[in-house]
Amino acid sequence: MGDAIKVADSILNPILDTPTSIEVKDLTVSFKTSKGVFTAVKDINLTVQKGEIISLIGHSGCGKSTLMGTISGMTKPTLGEVYANGKEVKGPGPDRGIVFQNYSLLPWLTVYKNIYEAVDSVLKDLSAAEKKELVEKNLKMVNLWEHKDKLPGHLSGGMKQRVAIARAFAINPSILLLDEPFGALDALTKSSMHVELLKLWSLDNREKTIVMVTHDIEEAIFLSDRVVVMSNGPAATIREIVDVPLPRPRNKKQIVHDEAYMAIHDKLLNLLIDKFSIED
Amino acid sequence: MKDLFSVKTLWSILYFFIGMALLGGIWQLISYLTKNEVPTPAMTWEVFKEVIKDPFQNDPDTKGIGTKLLSSLGRVGIGFGLGSIVAIPLGLVIGSNKIAMHIFNPIIQLLRPVSPLAWFPLGLAIFQDSPHASIFMIFICALWPTVLNTAFGASSVSQDHKNVAKAYGFSRWKYIKRILLPFSLPHIITGLRLSIGVAWMVIVAGEMLSGGIGIGYFVWDEGFNGGSVEKILVAIIFIGVIGLILDKCFTFLQKRFTYAV
Repeated sequence: MGDAIKVADSILNPILDTPTSIEVKDLTVSFKTSKGVFTAVKDINLTVQKGEIISLIGHSGCGKSTLMGTISGMTKPTLGEVYANGKEVKGPGPDRGIVFQNYSLLPWLTVYKNIYEAVDSVLKDLSAAEKKELVEKNLKMVNLWEHKDKLPGHLSGGMKQRVAIARAFAINPSILLLDEPFGALDALTKSSMHVELLKLWSLDNREKTIVMVTHDIEEAIFLSDRVVVMSNGPAATIREIVDVPLPRPRNKKQIVHDEAYMAIHDKLLNLLIDKFSIED
Repeated sequence: MKDLFSVKTLWSILYFFIGMALLGGIWQLISYLTKNEVPTPAMTWEVFKEVIKDPFQNDPDTKGIGTKLLSSLGRVGIGFGLGSIVAIPLGLVIGSNKIAMHIFNPIIQLLRPVSPLAWFPLGLAIFQDSPHASIFMIFICALWPTVLNTAFGASSVSQDHKNVAKAYGFSRWKYIKRILLPFSLPHIITGLRLSIGVAWMVIVAGEMLSGGIGIGYFVWDEGFNGGSVEKILVAIIFIGVIGLILDKCFTFLQKRFTYAV
């Protein structure tokens, strides 16, 4: 009898429990500055499931990027731990792809080379042919294959960001970290980039976990499964986590008329504006 | 190529000729005021034509002006080349490593203000040979601008680029090849440009001291000792034009290797 339960558990558990992708435990990050110790985030606990898209939202300087930095491994926790795919984060790793706020492409390398160098560095064991194939596949995915020989300086902001996304996808990470990825883009480009990002995520069987820092409420709702609202810094914490139970695929035009969407939008707006008025 | 014949280029050519005419006018005026102690442009032109006759003549006792210039350029090239080989790696190390910066900075600050000519006798003492001493002198004074500019370039690699290297786990070699060097390149070229300028300036003085075949010795021997102020002026024109060409070459390279972000 006991054995039967064990067997049933071993079959059912992987199906019922989505594995944890990211786990942040009692995280505090402080920086030493000339004016003393500055605590950016304090006592943060957050668990993200595999394949989930979550947004970190809050006012400027609320520590969103700091929290993101500890997941990527670019920032070291002062207290607490961060786990990615069950392993404690000690630094950047190939299981986590990062898209930076300002694209961070290398301006002296062509679009192709920018991606190739990342692939070459992360996936050392692949043959040159396999690496090239990977670069080609990812560049075609973001529709930039015909621009592969251009330098980043000759691309528009949206195209640069697509290169940065292709670069992050090319190393095939299980976790994708986007730090205000669309902040510098105009509204129209931004919208099409949202759809494009979701398309890439779906093409990949929705297996990648995506964590995105943003201060755009519409963007956060349209893309995410959950929106993490941060309190104002210093010593920012998670103020509330808002679920976004809207079915996928989502349609940008229709979703704004959805009552559930509007309710979430209102709630987020209240959470963010509420704080603003207290501050004043 | 497309804006080679644009209105803008036409204007800049026009301004160039206005500038040259102004220079010629001032020259003519000085000749007049010194009662032709300083020869007029026309008188200098006559000597100029004579000097550039058979420029690459290379007989044991008579050398053409071209041969002399090439000999000077050769010395500058060797000294500058050796200097760059030392200066670029040294600058990269100083720029990317704080400890190296603290160690080397005082040395550079101490030696940099020393007049290039002061190194010449030291070179003579070391090599017992004046052409080598000239090269040594060029080598030393070509170091500083390149070291300092390279170090500045290497120390100002932006955090964004460093983040890319960190996030994608670039090896040290890949970091040097794909980030540090390309980022520093425009600064390195600025340093080289300043260095070659200094080197070309110093070779004239050096050759006056060292003698031998070269444009500097030409000024001293055939110009001053030979009593031909025209030849001194001709040499000055040659030195100026070649200096300008060297500078333009590096300006071109600098533009070529500067990238828009």
